[in-house]
Amino acid sequence: MDLVANAAPAAPAGAPAVPGNRGIWVGILCELSEFALMFLAWAWFRHVHPDDFHAGPAMLNAGSGIANTVVMLTSGYLAVRAVLAIRRDDAIAARNWLIATLFGGLAFLLIKAFEFRWNVEHGVVGTGNSFVAMYYYLTFNHLVHVVWGCLGLIWAILRAQFGAYSAADHEGLEAAVLYWHATDLAWIVIFPLLYVLH
Amino acid sequence: MTNIDENRATIVWLGLLVLTLGSAWLGEGALPAGLTAAVVALIVGVKGMLVIRHYMGLGEPGSRLRLAMRLYFVVVPVLILVAAAPGA
Repeated sequence: MDLVANAAPAAPAGAPAVPGNRGIWVGILCELSEFALMFLAWAWFRHVHPDDFHAGPAMLNAGSGIANTVVMLTSGYLAVRAVLAIRRDDAIAARNWLIATLFGGLAFLLIKAFEFRWNVEHGVVGTGNSFVAMYYYLTFNHLVHVVWGCLGLIWAILRAQFGAYSAADHEGLEAAVLYWHATDLAWIVIFPLLYVLH
Repeated sequence: MTNIDENRATIVWLGLLVLTLGSAWLGEGALPAGLTAAVVALIVGVKGMLVIRHYMGLGEPGSRLRLAMRLYFVVVPVLILVAAAPGA
């Protein structure tokens, strides 16, 4: 285990420790299962309406998709730095890295807002086109998870501000960061499905 | 059990960015559709494994959680490969 060895809850002897806490992993596995069903739906509708999907990516603002991917990966990196800082018992640095991570999340939301506005101006609406409908279902759903992730980060920032985390106890910070990474994982799949594969 | 440090975290981040830009380049139609699907599926798998291993800390052998997460990033790329292959 790379990042979270120090804060894992006690595990049975010989069993691998769980990063963060068990509760956040229930949330992460539910989130990824939900997206897995949507990826299956993407494959099905691509099979049923191939013309929509072959032409679909060219209808989108690819620059926004690339920018959002870079932002998500960068904010994930900043979140890693927050965990590394708290493991050094540097709570102030950890808080600052979390704030930087949150700015990444907010940048993602701003880019998405720009992209949706661009879509409307260019007639990219979900009626009558399977690809565009899939695009909105996937991206709106992911957007909801980004908002949840941002709320979790805000909570962790506030807790860090008030001295709740230390090198010995930072399970909550790790849980917020793990959820953020899970949201990043979902986007890693969504990006090529919508913006790359013609 | 290994510990990631700042340098390795930075290298992983840069690697993820390079893979993303590689995906974007494929979106320009630089390669035949079948090859594009294969490379995209590979990139998705590699990016997922990097995040799971280095950022989420699931690197310990014997972990069912690690197995489940890794399996996800095997099954989803296979789905991409099957769904996006020419004639699919």
